[in-house]
Amino acid sequence: MLAVLLALAGCRGDGGDQELVVFAASSLTGVADRVDPGAEVVFGGSNDLAAQIRDGAEADVVLSASPKPLEELRSAQLVSGLFIFASNRLVVVVPAANPGGVTAAGELTRPGLKLVLGAEGVPIGDYARESLQLAGLRGALANVVSLEEDVKGVLGKVALGEADAGIVYETDARAAGDDVRSFPVPDRYQPEIYYYAAFVLPRSEAAVRYLDRLFGVEGDAVLRAAGFVTVPP
Amino acid sequence: MNRLFRVLLGAALAVAVVFLALPVLAIFLRVPPGELVAQLGDERARDALLVSLKTSLVAHALILLVGTPAAYLLANRDFRGRAAVVSLLELPLVLPPAVAGLGLLAAFGRSGLLGEQLRFLGLSIPFTQLAVVLAVCFVASPFYLRAALSAFEAVDPSLLGAARTLGAGPFRVFGRVALPLALPGLGAGSTLAFARGLGEFGATIMFAGSLPGRTQTAPLAIYDALDEDFDVALALGALLVVVSLALLLAVKLVPTWTRSSSPSTTLSAPFGSR
Repeated sequence: MLAVLLALAGCRGDGGDQELVVFAASSLTGVADRVDPGAEVVFGGSNDLAAQIRDGAEADVVLSASPKPLEELRSAQLVSGLFIFASNRLVVVVPAANPGGVTAAGELTRPGLKLVLGAEGVPIGDYARESLQLAGLRGALANVVSLEEDVKGVLGKVALGEADAGIVYETDARAAGDDVRSFPVPDRYQPEIYYYAAFVLPRSEAAVRYLDRLFGVEGDAVLRAAGFVTVPP
Repeated sequence: MNRLFRVLLGAALAVAVVFLALPVLAIFLRVPPGELVAQLGDERARDALLVSLKTSLVAHALILLVGTPAAYLLANRDFRGRAAVVSLLELPLVLPPAVAGLGLLAAFGRSGLLGEQLRFLGLSIPFTQLAVVLAVCFVASPFYLRAALSAFEAVDPSLLGAARTLGAGPFRVFGRVALPLALPGLGAGSTLAFARGLGEFGATIMFAGSLPGRTQTAPLAIYDALDEDFDVALALGALLVVVSLALLLAVKLVPTWTRSSSPSTTLSAPFGSR
């Protein structure tokens, strides 16, 4: 019995004897695993992944959706190098049937519109607030009917047709396919959403090869295909 | 051999007690009691508790109002498909709450089965307190229905017959004979249903969303506060533990208050699942 439990405790997907283990933010699903099909990729929230590395999880590379978790790991001398490899953009999504009759991102302040955002402290929620602030659309906050704990929550409520609109990453809107329609948020109202890569120390040869691919043509192609904007290192 | 057996039983009990009590205890050990009370003054915590209290009370009133006569009918009439009806009413007990949430959306959502009709009535249920009430009713009412059914079934039918023979009408038989006799069982079921409703999470977050002061109940606020205000989450958690414990004790004590010897108050139901 005890043996079974211990075996289960070992199965937390930290790679075991894989040659290369990559910890990647969940929004990189379909990307981090395609950059190098041989890599074992563990997806999770950026904060959770950082916590696991602090607790001694064995990884070679970590890809985060925001700099903060990695900066903390770097101060603790657990990772080295912090490279921006991609950026994401915000879009306004509406259900395919568009029950709120939204025709542009600027209409989010219309009274009675049912808007869903991420909660405060959740990256997508903070970015959406920043963008509304930049656009002078803080009035839209009065239309919020639900504050979700992650992008999936926002996208789900919109895709099911219960909310009139939501603000999510462009890559997630793309992944949702035909269930949602998206409207671009103008450049000047886009917050800076950068993705960071770092080596977990001690730096492995495999990790260096992985980052080479990520910044090379392979990485560029999969990132663009998913809707990310690539950034030259 | 005899002794070994007793030791094994004792060890099993010790493991169960430690495993089940430790997480609850840990909540209280993590933050000093004074701090816990202070955190309850937090605006978010207060809002969440108010939303929880309001929606739970309304849902509970509905559960009692509909559940009591429904259970009375099921206990006193045998009809074809009765077993199927009872199973159907119990289904939410074992349904994953996320499935309950999806089902509620599929039925009462804007693009759900009754979406058109509800719109015609000018009603939009998701994201409202009504949605919270419906979610609570859906997951909690089976606890009451089950208990009420067995409580009414335990009432001696000859007593109801005697009342009728003496000229009592059906309302009188129900109100003056069946109801008082079933009361301990009804009370226990009612308390369990209330406790389950108070802890509702999965169906609510899917069907009603989470907006502080409107649809964010205490369990949703705990989830929301986890990443930023861990102390608020712990304080709300501790409060829910205390309330749940009080409700559980009430269930245990109700049968001893009354003389009735119907011990079938159902603690056997799988309650408290997310």
